[in-house]
Amino acid sequence: MPIDISDVNDKLRRITLTGRLDVPGTEEIVIKFAEAATAGGRRVVVDMTAVSFLGSIGIRALLSNAEALQSKGGRMVLFVGSNVMVAKTLQAIGIDALIPTFADAAVAEKTALN
Amino acid sequence: MLASGPAADLVSELSIDPDSSQVRPASEWLEREGHALGIPPEQIARLDICLNEVFANVLDHGGSSARSAPIGLRLARKGELDGADATLTVTDAGTAFDPLAVPPRSRPQTLAETRLGGLGLVMVRANADSLSYEYADGRNQLTIGVRWSKAQS
Repeated sequence: MPIDISDVNDKLRRITLTGRLDVPGTEEIVIKFAEAATAGGRRVVVDMTAVSFLGSIGIRALLSNAEALQSKGGRMVLFVGSNVMVAKTLQAIGIDALIPTFADAAVAEKTALN
Repeated sequence: MLASGPAADLVSELSIDPDSSQVRPASEWLEREGHALGIPPEQIARLDICLNEVFANVLDHGGSSARSAPIGLRLARKGELDGADATLTVTDAGTAFDPLAVPPRSRPQTLAETRLGGLGLVMVRANADSLSYEYADGRNQLTIGVRWSKAQS
């Protein structure tokens, strides 16, 4: 389960997740994801466009990191692009109402910084 | 393993060890057999989410008895004139647990509320068109159904 971390600037970080966020996939990246998401209280865009499976364990990782980041004054948003499977899953259980979710990368970044 | 049942259902079955290392092989079996049975990819994806959540629930909450016997998977597809349906039945030897008896929970309004748990069952309910449960011969038997119209086939 690859995870890629890139700093767009000193305020915004992009974390790109690729593959299956099932039990083994999430366990593989959970520590690195938490460190990358919460360090420094940055604004964070999580790129989910290449996630091929999203289970509850992966959603819990998103939620706990979003909450930890929020407690440090940061903000997390999700960029799903045209990934219908991920968008539907987030919408079906109401996660998109808790972590802002966008199909457009520019809007996601702008919202994260606002 | 593919077999043709008495009611012209197409069926595939698998028995796997109750271990988290088997969740990926189980998903791979579901995708492979689902494709062979003619189940649309979108419906296989819904069943895959349910399979992962039920599998995790058995291992996390089924107790020692859940780990003492294999988990059974049975995938069946039945075609009709106006569409088709598929069912995935998961059987396990864990503590008796009827997920249908758990009241549906309201949507969390804050990030903190999501810590309450139960997300896996919420995801199963969100992805299944039907659910049925029985406890027989010392095993939980949960059947997850999905349906699709002929146009989606």
